[in-house]
Amino acid sequence: MNVIETRNLHKHFGELHVLRGVDLAVAEREVVVIIGPSGSGKSTLLRCLNFLEMPDEGSEVLLDGEVIDPARDDLDKVRERMGMVFQHFYLFPHKNVLNNITIAPENVKGMPRAKAKEVARDLLSKVGLPDKEKAWPSQLSGGQKQRVAIARALAMDPEIMLFDEVTSALDPELVAEVLQVVQDLAAGGMTMVMVTHEMGFAREVADRVIMMDDGMIIEQGEPAGFFANPTEERTKTFLSQVLHA
Amino acid sequence: MLSSLWLVIDMHFFAFLRATGVTLQLTAVSLALAVVIGLAFAFLKLSRNPVANLLANAYIGIVRGTPLIVLLMFLYFGISSIVVLTSFWAGSFALAIHAGAYVAEIFRGAIQSIDSGQHEAARSLGMSRRQSMRLIILPQAFRRAIPPLGNQFIIGLKDSSLVAFLGVSEIYSTAMTAAAANFKPFETYLVAGLYYLVLVLIFTVLVHRLETKLTPDRRAAA
Repeated sequence: MNVIETRNLHKHFGELHVLRGVDLAVAEREVVVIIGPSGSGKSTLLRCLNFLEMPDEGSEVLLDGEVIDPARDDLDKVRERMGMVFQHFYLFPHKNVLNNITIAPENVKGMPRAKAKEVARDLLSKVGLPDKEKAWPSQLSGGQKQRVAIARALAMDPEIMLFDEVTSALDPELVAEVLQVVQDLAAGGMTMVMVTHEMGFAREVADRVIMMDDGMIIEQGEPAGFFANPTEERTKTFLSQVLHA
Repeated sequence: MLSSLWLVIDMHFFAFLRATGVTLQLTAVSLALAVVIGLAFAFLKLSRNPVANLLANAYIGIVRGTPLIVLLMFLYFGISSIVVLTSFWAGSFALAIHAGAYVAEIFRGAIQSIDSGQHEAARSLGMSRRQSMRLIILPQAFRRAIPPLGNQFIIGLKDSSLVAFLGVSEIYSTAMTAAAANFKPFETYLVAGLYYLVLVLIFTVLVHRLETKLTPDRRAAA
């Protein structure tokens, strides 16, 4: 069963046609990595999956096989089931680390405070920051912030995780600690869709790599074959640019 | 001069003390109302509803475009032809309506200054628009609004002196009465000025303390 699926997904920003008919299906426990040049629509695709961007009329997004109708369905409930991690973290600066993680379970799910704290502490250990619960976001390094952001999303116990260039804003020496957490999640069986420029990581962790260009999926495949023998000319050009940069 | 200054302070001590109480009440009531009005109109101005925008722009435009003393007199005589209000309450409402326009712009600016990513992160966690506003955006906006809000409150405290013209016995009106009786206007207004100055200084310290208290993260980072 596909956890998430899109059918003929289109998105316009005014005149700009950013997504031009994307069909994507992500199976349970699958790790899908999306690559492609900037402006190819990768992030917009990710943001359409949890309706941070509204897909155009006629597009279909399915969660667990059910078509989501933005006019009828409660999108807040839909988003509860999908975790998202952003390039720029977006931790809540007025909340300490623990409360960054507990605020959604407490207020959205109505989880009792004690239970939410327990969940948060457990997740902080998982992302390697058990001693940071009282710290403020402003006291953390970029890598630590991003790990807290991952824990915050996981606290809602989502069915799928969406990662939007989560290492692009980090200093190079901090990338590994975040990728390690993502890799652990993948190993634990989390379904995930990840937009990234980390080709080494894609090769190692992805079940499937998707190349996007100009608002469309132009090529996809399991990573070994994809990176060794890309068939599309644009994929070859793109890979040669990023791999030899 | 010093001896006659001391004489004025001594002679009108209790009158000024009472007047200070009135000034503080005027300020507290009008600014509390101004915060409520300001927040409401900030939301109207941020709303996507064009009627709400128009309403907010009209209110802010009219208030900012007219002197407070005109608004004060207009409302006093206008309101008291409909309902009977004491001059204290008429004055408080007028001060609140005046300050509310500026507070609305302060709140609007503070809310808009919060990175849209904060709202998106909140929504991505399943929070409703309302929850995101209440739990994530407004607490951050309030913190950011404190310095300009403190400034506006100081202006509001001093603006309360205009209510003297409605016959409310606050500091300035007390000074006018005293000066007319003691023939020492220079010393009397000097004393009135000192009262305002001390109040503003105390207030400045309180605002600073509040800001420090509400931003534990900034202290920790420093």
